[in-house]
Amino acid sequence: MIRLSGRLRSSLIIGLQGIRARKLRTLLSMVSLFLGVLAVVTVQAGSVIAQRALLADLELQRGKDGTLLMYLPSEQGASAITLDAVAGRDDAVAMTRAQAIIGEPGLRPVNEGGVPIDQAGYGPPPQMVCDDHGNCVEQSEQDDEPKPVGQAVELSLIGITGDVREFRPFRLESGEFVDFDSAPSLAPRLVINKHAAEAFAAYSVPAEMRITGASANPTPLIVGVVDDGGWGPTAYVRADELLNWTEPAGLSDPNYGGGIELLASPTATDLEQILRSRFAANDIPTEFQVETIDSLEQMGSQISLMRWIFLGMAALVLLIGVAGILNVGLATVGERVEEFALRRAVGTPRFLLAGIVLAETLLTGLLTAAAAIGAGVVGLEAASRLFASREPFLANVAFPWEAGVAGVIAGLVAGILGGLIPAIRAARIPIATVMRA
Amino acid sequence: MTLIQLTGVTKTLRGQDEARTILSGVDLTLEPGESVAVLGRSGSGKSTLLSLIGLFDRPDGGQYLLGGKDITRVPERRAAALRSAEFGFVFQRFFLLKHLTALQNVSMALVNGQGWLPRRKRRTTAMEALERLEIGHLARHKPPRLSGGEQQRVAIARALVRRPKILLADEPTGALDTDTGNLVVEALRATTDEGCALVLVTHDRDHAAKMSRVARLTDGVLA
Repeated sequence: MIRLSGRLRSSLIIGLQGIRARKLRTLLSMVSLFLGVLAVVTVQAGSVIAQRALLADLELQRGKDGTLLMYLPSEQGASAITLDAVAGRDDAVAMTRAQAIIGEPGLRPVNEGGVPIDQAGYGPPPQMVCDDHGNCVEQSEQDDEPKPVGQAVELSLIGITGDVREFRPFRLESGEFVDFDSAPSLAPRLVINKHAAEAFAAYSVPAEMRITGASANPTPLIVGVVDDGGWGPTAYVRADELLNWTEPAGLSDPNYGGGIELLASPTATDLEQILRSRFAANDIPTEFQVETIDSLEQMGSQISLMRWIFLGMAALVLLIGVAGILNVGLATVGERVEEFALRRAVGTPRFLLAGIVLAETLLTGLLTAAAAIGAGVVGLEAASRLFASREPFLANVAFPWEAGVAGVIAGLVAGILGGLIPAIRAARIPIATVMRA
Repeated sequence: MTLIQLTGVTKTLRGQDEARTILSGVDLTLEPGESVAVLGRSGSGKSTLLSLIGLFDRPDGGQYLLGGKDITRVPERRAAALRSAEFGFVFQRFFLLKHLTALQNVSMALVNGQGWLPRRKRRTTAMEALERLEIGHLARHKPPRLSGGEQQRVAIARALVRRPKILLADEPTGALDTDTGNLVVEALRATTDEGCALVLVTHDRDHAAKMSRVARLTDGVLA
């Protein structure tokens, strides 16, 4: 072991001496390799950052990887059973979905149907009203006199039984999220998404909140804004605050897809069985959909092909760098024939001569990798500062360690590939060179 | 004990057309502290003989005993270890590495993968070798700043730094003027006072006369 260590040290010492003696040549090798390693670092960093951004978006829209997602019915008392089943549990959150109109009383919302505010004005979609038997008719056929359009915004109203961010990592944009520690308020406290915030910025009359089937129209209190990855105006509210104004069945409006989403941690395996048992006991259909969110798998297939294509291109650039090292290495060995012959004459074994050349190219590769990684870090920091306002995923983005590792590996591989043939040549130089000189 | 014993050593070089015998039945013995001058015309096989003794190459026939051990067919790995431990080499051209100082040039023989010395020990040992050749004050100088005689003495210090038992010198004064050459030969001969055996290949009869024995190589035959 000591013997090996001595030889390793000898290689490194002589290799470093060689690099110091031929600084310009080392620099030229590094220049040719730099772009290749930088390409690998950039592709890897870009891939990881894109992966993180994509994963974050997927988690925002669907939920964290591994989360159990159940789509439950809301009819025939299922809402009440579901709310009761998750009450007091911190490993599951139920999300009810109704439609609400917030604004001046007696007016039609500017975005009828809850469409994004920038799509309002193209005419409202036909408003359908359904009875308990599933017979639906257009609302206009019911109303004798349509209400005038005014300062009101229609949005999806999501009642939640706990802090849903544990399962769907909403990004808080301003204010605070729904507080579950305090007693439920009579004025429902809303956290709205960015689309709703845009709508209220244009139509800011949150006088009352109309919910179909509610006993009265409460005045809401907007406490925060989140990015929930959704496409239309949405508000999140404590389900128990809504229950001050409506029955459990009213939390989920069958006219708007109405079922209940239940998000649970992977360990909450008992919940599905509890719900099926209670539904069965109340003659509610027990065939509801349960799935496990697999964002990583879904995302992996999306990004891996692109990553391989770019890595292939980076490998080509790296090969050009390797050719540069190889070229310089061969020229250097040719120039150092006498030195290597002399080293053999003083007892340096052949493989140590090869080791010296490899040590030089490996050190060159590592130095290049360090430079490329440094450039990557600086470049990312600069991109983050310059473009974060336009591309939010660049805000506060950290240089991924995977890109650093890829850069070091690329540098080492390039050093080995570029140094191998010169190393073999160096080891084959005959000692007699010093005698014939 | 006899340090080196060559018996009936032959060496043939195979060219493109025909083989050429360089050494033919060479017998040579060398005792500790003995100095031998090998004289001969150009192409007589002097350097080939030296390269066989120094294990740069292997003989085609005959036997080579080093300290009583047969090393005629020693493998390269073992030969490298023997070159490091037993031999010192001085060449006509000094083969100093231009990018290293005199001290580092001497130290390079200590960084050859045959054992490991800490940096401080390497420096001390190399400095001692330079001082033995009375050029310790040139330790920090790089070769281009040294005269031919100084460079050759640095090369001798490099050859002696591992305290070899045998010093092989291949026309070490060939690139030097007469006075400097005399100084170098005297420095080489002085090593025998410490028990080191010396084989000096030279064209110069005056230098050869300073050795304890003179051998003549004519057409591959040593007499």
